[in-house]
Amino acid sequence: MRERLLNAAGRGVVAVLLCLLVLPLAVVVATAFDASGAVAFPPRGLSTRWFSALLASSTWLQALLNSLVVATGTSALSTAVGVAAALGVRQLDEGRRRAVVALAVLPLLVPGVIIGVTTLTLFSQFGLQQSYVALVLAHSLWATPLAFSVIQASFARFDWQLHEAALDLGATPIRAFTGVVAPNVRAGLAVAALVAFVVSLQEFVIALFLSGPDTRTVPVAAWNSLRQSLDPVVSVVSALLLVAVVGLVVVVGALAGVGRFASDL
Amino acid sequence: MSTRTRRLPSLGGRRTLALLAPLLALDVLVFLVPTAYLLRVSLTARTPGGAFVEGSWALDGYRYVTETSLVHEILAFTLFFAVLVTALAVAVGVVYAYAAWCATGWTRTLLLGGAVCSLFTTLVVKLFAVLLVYSPQGLVNDLLRAVGLASEPVLLVDNLAGAVIGQLYIVVPYAILAVYAVLSSLNTQLVEAARDLGADGSGVFREVVLPHVRPGIAVAAVIAFTWSVGAYPAPLLLGSGSEQTVGILVSQLLLARFDWPAAAALSVVTAGTVFGSLLVVLWRLDLAGGLLDA
Repeated sequence: MRERLLNAAGRGVVAVLLCLLVLPLAVVVATAFDASGAVAFPPRGLSTRWFSALLASSTWLQALLNSLVVATGTSALSTAVGVAAALGVRQLDEGRRRAVVALAVLPLLVPGVIIGVTTLTLFSQFGLQQSYVALVLAHSLWATPLAFSVIQASFARFDWQLHEAALDLGATPIRAFTGVVAPNVRAGLAVAALVAFVVSLQEFVIALFLSGPDTRTVPVAAWNSLRQSLDPVVSVVSALLLVAVVGLVVVVGALAGVGRFASDL
Repeated sequence: MSTRTRRLPSLGGRRTLALLAPLLALDVLVFLVPTAYLLRVSLTARTPGGAFVEGSWALDGYRYVTETSLVHEILAFTLFFAVLVTALAVAVGVVYAYAAWCATGWTRTLLLGGAVCSLFTTLVVKLFAVLLVYSPQGLVNDLLRAVGLASEPVLLVDNLAGAVIGQLYIVVPYAILAVYAVLSSLNTQLVEAARDLGADGSGVFREVVLPHVRPGIAVAAVIAFTWSVGAYPAPLLLGSGSEQTVGILVSQLLLARFDWPAAAALSVVTAGTVFGSLLVVLWRLDLAGGLLDA
């Protein structure tokens, strides 16, 4: 019934849109295996030599490490803050809850360039610019509201009478959360942590302002090398990032279902 | 203080506050305080010798913004660019999200999965890929020539088209998911009822679906607009020298010219423009309530 709503012309348009959306992603993966070193599509001959070039480059390995450190830190911080806040807003009345949600969401409505500029001017007062701490905090501004909303959605599906029962039976609030709530919202917590991780992993503009030579993340390193010349290693790094992200999306999809995930986000 | 303790049951109130404290601390310390500091820097005197004159009060930065005609041109172009990208992104987002909602099973997973993957791909990779695909020797031009739509290569990068295409790849996934999130709460029975009463496909879309997704459209438009006003990498990589946006100018002032008062003032003016225009539009469309609900 639903499928008949879209007529043939509509389906054609959507098919073209889907192709345009994912085509560039496919092209990047294909060029990573190009033997010639010319960044072009379709590839002329397959090779994995640029993967070896990546493994031999200390700059790129450092960038990969930086990205992992920052993304892990962002994921841990955002999930913890998000869980606490989602528990906290349950006890607020409607008006205050809206105010808290609005404050949390506000940074998402500010362009990355402006967040980069504002955090850079302040962090540089404390000598914190170019540090992991600065990157984790700034990325958490965007990752936290998303983690918070995913956690809130999964809390909404939990039967809170179980939690009250645990408290009535004498469990401490922490024990009641870890023993009763957490096991039931495990999938939601995992999705929130993954979303925060990926938000940080792919973020570029803020990182461009806040990272230095030692803390440069992969997108910033890729950007710098792109601006100089088309380096085939960029394709390889991009392909790796892409595979990591697609892998995480598949995991999330399996945990939560793509449809629910897409509407919780 | 006393009224507050009286209104909240003391233990529960304190626990709620403790749970909310990390979120409030993060947003206040990393967002509100830096924003206030930026406002302060925008009111200092400019100096050729360093970033800004500490402790001074001056309107130098704002004078630069109001008196330089290049800045006016860049501001005007940025707004035009943002409105264009927003209109296109919302149109694509609505069509795509509606198709995903209509689809079932694997088709829906494929459509939503494609949008989520694109959303979570770093924009550097996306822009780099867009450069490859849309360049004169790229795949899109090959296809256009193969189906006979073009005989000469169509220039789709290094110009306005390139900047717009690049920015669309950044904001369209958000637009799709914002619309889809609202659409997923649409009751299928409403659509069936409309069809039983004789509405055709486009009638259902116009009379039932569009009114329902208005909050989603508002969110999609807000995201697309604010992010495009701050557009930086897409016009830089895929535009030409004439596709200068405020974001590019701010970063030049800050990182290359070390003119912090000017950069801060321009950021403040830009953020003010974004919030001002959003408030006006939301107020005119009376969608503010819907935006907070979504």
